[in-house]
Amino acid sequence: MKQILEQANELIAAGQYEEAVDLLCRLGPPEGAEICELIAKAYRGRNYARGDVYTAKVFAGHALSYGSTDPEMQAIIDAAKRSDSPLTRPLEKPPCTMGGPKDKRPAVDAPYSFCALSKLNGKADAAKDFDWLEKNIPCQAACPASTDIPGYLDAIYRGEYEKAYRINLEDNVFPAVLGRVCARPCEAQCRHGWDDLGEPVAICFSKRSAADFGGQASVVLDKWFPDSGKKVAVIGAGPAGLAAARQLALLGHAVTVYEKHNKPGGMMNQGIPEFRLPRNIIEKEIGQITALGVEIVCNAAIGDNLQLSELTATHDAVVMAAGTLRPNLLNLPGKELDGIRHGLNFLLDVNENNSTDIGEHVVVIGGGFTAMDCARTARRLGATTVQVEEKLADKTAPGSILRMPKGNVKVWYRRSVDEMLVTPGELEELEHEHIPLETMVSPKAYIGENGNVTGMRFIRTEMGEPDASGRRRPVEVPGSEFEIQADTILLATGQFPDTEWIDDALKNELVEEDGWLKSGSACATANDKIFAAGDFAAGASSLIQAIGHAKECVREVDRFLMGKERLKDVAVIEDVEKTGRIREMDAVPLQPMPAIDLTRRDLTNEVETGFEQESAPDEAQRCYQCHYKFEIDNDKCIYCDWCVKAKPRPECILKLSKLNHNEDGTVADWEIARTQDDVNMVWVNQEDCIRCGACVAACPVDAISIQKVSLKTEPVK
Amino acid sequence: MIAKPDLTQVERDKLEIDPDFDFREIARRPFEDITPNELAMFKWSGVYHQLQPAFFMIRVVTPGGLMTTKQFTRAVDLAEELAQGELCITTRQTLQFHWIRKEDIYKIIEGMAEVGITCKNGCGDVPRNIIGSSLAGVAPNAIGDSQKLIRMFADDDEIQNQRNLPRKHKISVAFANEAGAQTLMNCQGWVPVERDGVIGWKFHAGGGLGARPYLAKVIFDWVPEERVLDVARATVEAFRRHGDRRVRAFARLKVVVDRMGADPFADVLLDIMKEKGVQGLETIEKAASPVPAIGQLFLNGQEVIPQKQDGLSVVRVMIPRSELKTSESRTISKLADELGGGKVMFTNRQNVELHDVPNENVDALLEKLHEAGFRTDGHEHLPDIVACVGTTMCKMAVADSPDAYHRLYAALANDEAYWKTIGPLRINITGCPNNCAHAWIADIGLRGRRRRSEDDGSVEGYTILVGGKLSDAGRISEELCDVDTGEVAPAIRKILDTYLDNRQNENERFIDFCERIGTAQFKELLK
Repeated sequence: MKQILEQANELIAAGQYEEAVDLLCRLGPPEGAEICELIAKAYRGRNYARGDVYTAKVFAGHALSYGSTDPEMQAIIDAAKRSDSPLTRPLEKPPCTMGGPKDKRPAVDAPYSFCALSKLNGKADAAKDFDWLEKNIPCQAACPASTDIPGYLDAIYRGEYEKAYRINLEDNVFPAVLGRVCARPCEAQCRHGWDDLGEPVAICFSKRSAADFGGQASVVLDKWFPDSGKKVAVIGAGPAGLAAARQLALLGHAVTVYEKHNKPGGMMNQGIPEFRLPRNIIEKEIGQITALGVEIVCNAAIGDNLQLSELTATHDAVVMAAGTLRPNLLNLPGKELDGIRHGLNFLLDVNENNSTDIGEHVVVIGGGFTAMDCARTARRLGATTVQVEEKLADKTAPGSILRMPKGNVKVWYRRSVDEMLVTPGELEELEHEHIPLETMVSPKAYIGENGNVTGMRFIRTEMGEPDASGRRRPVEVPGSEFEIQADTILLATGQFPDTEWIDDALKNELVEEDGWLKSGSACATANDKIFAAGDFAAGASSLIQAIGHAKECVREVDRFLMGKERLKDVAVIEDVEKTGRIREMDAVPLQPMPAIDLTRRDLTNEVETGFEQESAPDEAQRCYQCHYKFEIDNDKCIYCDWCVKAKPRPECILKLSKLNHNEDGTVADWEIARTQDDVNMVWVNQEDCIRCGACVAACPVDAISIQKVSLKTEPVK
Repeated sequence: MIAKPDLTQVERDKLEIDPDFDFREIARRPFEDITPNELAMFKWSGVYHQLQPAFFMIRVVTPGGLMTTKQFTRAVDLAEELAQGELCITTRQTLQFHWIRKEDIYKIIEGMAEVGITCKNGCGDVPRNIIGSSLAGVAPNAIGDSQKLIRMFADDDEIQNQRNLPRKHKISVAFANEAGAQTLMNCQGWVPVERDGVIGWKFHAGGGLGARPYLAKVIFDWVPEERVLDVARATVEAFRRHGDRRVRAFARLKVVVDRMGADPFADVLLDIMKEKGVQGLETIEKAASPVPAIGQLFLNGQEVIPQKQDGLSVVRVMIPRSELKTSESRTISKLADELGGGKVMFTNRQNVELHDVPNENVDALLEKLHEAGFRTDGHEHLPDIVACVGTTMCKMAVADSPDAYHRLYAALANDEAYWKTIGPLRINITGCPNNCAHAWIADIGLRGRRRRSEDDGSVEGYTILVGGKLSDAGRISEELCDVDTGEVAPAIRKILDTYLDNRQNENERFIDFCERIGTAQFKELLK
């Protein structure tokens, strides 16, 4: 026993109070002066909850009754006493300004610095409001076009497909197109995909379902402003050019788009294969833009008969959105051999000119969107000899994917799979379509005979240190060179803006010697009237990035044309009583995208067939609805901790002694309370919150409000 | 398409874990090997983890609140040996042991079982201890035999073996149409009715306090005594079927009845009984109105109450803050044996009554009680304050309700002239929104809270509620003001002075005053 007492003493000295009590209790129900003294001291040291003070007092009392002479025992008892205080304040129920789930809040400034937003309700535009949106709705923050993703997923879940389509249309211009081929930066950020939370919501495919089930009539948006009398020319009818034209039209400007190809769409038409993006989808969504009065002039290559300087003279502003049509060709020995083609040209030939020339042994070099499209297109073109397994032979239609023997199309990439910039799911499709992928190989030379390419020499690589862009650089492995057979080599190794068409009058002002714009990725150029949008300014990227960039560009154009800011971003705050979500929705599995059988895959049959009408809401309901803000009114809160006990995540509700803010009102950091008396606020850490509502259900005094916070761009009238 | 609501984790655990633990095995098992869910399921055996991690609370089951002195003495012996010499009387008329080590849990359970007292269904999602008025079986104005029903429910396997209800289930049986059995705050409330010399029962359902209080509705105006058990069983079954297992805060029968309405709920019960082949359903009368009409509380400060049994009386003893120390318990037990009928009744105001005291012993008993320091006056008046254990021992509590009790008691309970001037007054102090101390139905209720301090941390205090009652159709108390703990006594004093200054006359009780002026006006008067 003596040993245990000594040990307990040491534990108490070391701050291991619970362990000390456990040890002391091993001797039996606590009794005797020495044991009770130690238990009293242990609880005095623990001092986390009020109960610790009480327990220390109880056992100090026991110790004294057992004859303890330790003066600390009386001190512990005295310390537990609390004195009455005179009634100095009026007897009243203090007002609770933030309120609970059933309260309606007025559109006034938030009463406290710890409020998540600057206003209690209505529209807010302080730094903390935008900071909240960015941190709390990660999908929308990741979307270059700032698409209201929770908003449209909620509409899909409720079966309101037309509303969902319209939300998309307002934000990203091409919902049905992007619902198929978007690069989906949103999904990588989706809260549902965070550690231990499962898989991200299939946001992209859900967007498609809104288009699929939302009625087939054209949706023409209302213009924000009446005719401005200003004329704007847009060069290039690709995603950026068309998005810019649409936004300009909504702002009331007269827009003409000049397109050098015979039809509008840009990369949507000329790059992306039809089996991923049916052409009628593109046409319909372009139709929704021309319905706003946008004129598209095709077969009009600026620089031929019409010069940029002329356009600039005859228009109030010009937006260059000419894309990236200058291929990056590998400067390798043998580059002059026949059979080496740039991937974009190959895709353009197939998509626009219906050319089906392809060799038997196709090598695709690259690891991006174009590489995937080249490989899958080449796979479909096939050689004349068909080698298929017998049971599938009779199902093989002309042009079927199965016409090229497995292994004859192969993708080669110099980095690892992790570095590939491809749409999620595409690597799986590559595998599904039996297209081998070889990574960590770098091309060294083309090999040829009689002027024709016959093979390619590669060297194996390993990943080195990250370069300036943060991507790790491949480093060649000495002695690992090898050769493979090839009669067609498709280079999907990037492309640059082609600025050759800019006439000399403006070239010096706008273009660097290397052919890139002097203005870099900025929307404005050295010429006040000329702007640049999309890949033409920012370099090759994705459709959604081009659209996002174009939207930014148009705001600058409008500011230039009208001399003032006519669009304003606001956080719209609305009271919500219930979210309609139940925790079980989090457990709904990711819905698979149905796809057609391999035997039916050809150049035109769309591979992915879209969610069924039943599975679309199933998928949409997986969305946490991150636009909901759960917030505790710390005046109403009674600090019972029931929400803390109900919380699903370790960090989603915190008991803080302090919440520190930056100068702009955003949250800087916080301090966790050590004792119950130190708890200054019970705080929903909204960045970790999964919007399950368990806290609201648990709160006995209705102190937790729910509000919907949405980012809106509004015309300033 | 909405995801099919699945069982919550709690509900799944409830299905997987056998609640009948072998506590001898638990005694041997290292604490860290007991899973959190097992620990939670200890409650089904009346075992609750205390706020202090090393200790447990054990609640026994005493249907109707009655113990023999033999049983009580066993509890006292066990408490002396294993529970720091302390017993606590609960608001559901039973006893709690505190400070029990894990290694000693089985000793309490087995020790009490030896004298016929179980801990099974002491806590957890089960039918809880069945309550009545403390005067059950002895009240001079009793109609029928309420204790018979209490025993019937307590002994019925079909009710008691419901070990996985959506939430707890509480049954009360009154001895007459009066508020002492707290009919309106129980899931099932049975009130006797006499018609032409025949005893039947009026059935109420859907009452319950907790964080969101509901008052019971009348379901059946008349249930013949031979159908009572069928209705009680059907009610448990209806709860099992319709209780919302997904959200514990909305799982109780009170929510089922509230969402469904009294009349449809009556139909549900009738359908269940029909399904079970219960005969004679036509003799059950559905309620003409769901609004209850419970008579006034019979108890009103009496120290001694003549029993309906000739020559016997009830002697009422106040137990400050419901805490029974070993020496006090032994005194009570000894006096109950020597001068009483060998019975100890625990009341829902956490006091003790000695039943079956021969009239000739009453004076001597009172004298002995007073000699031993017990108080027998002040019942149902200011001194008769109810308080839970609060943050002293309960994991759920926010405020130290015993501390508030002692402040109030010290400041006001000994001013006899003052509390007698005030008249009937029940103050209940509950440490958290669970309302174990029934703040919702007291004249003055205090509910623990903390208040954010502008400068630093937070300050313990209370929300003061007024105007709750369980008679007539019942009334849930309403928030009047918030005070810090240190201000509790002067605040209550001010509230009571305001009442005295503004009541119509001395016959206007505090509760009548609250109802007459309304809470908004009361707030104005306090300004």
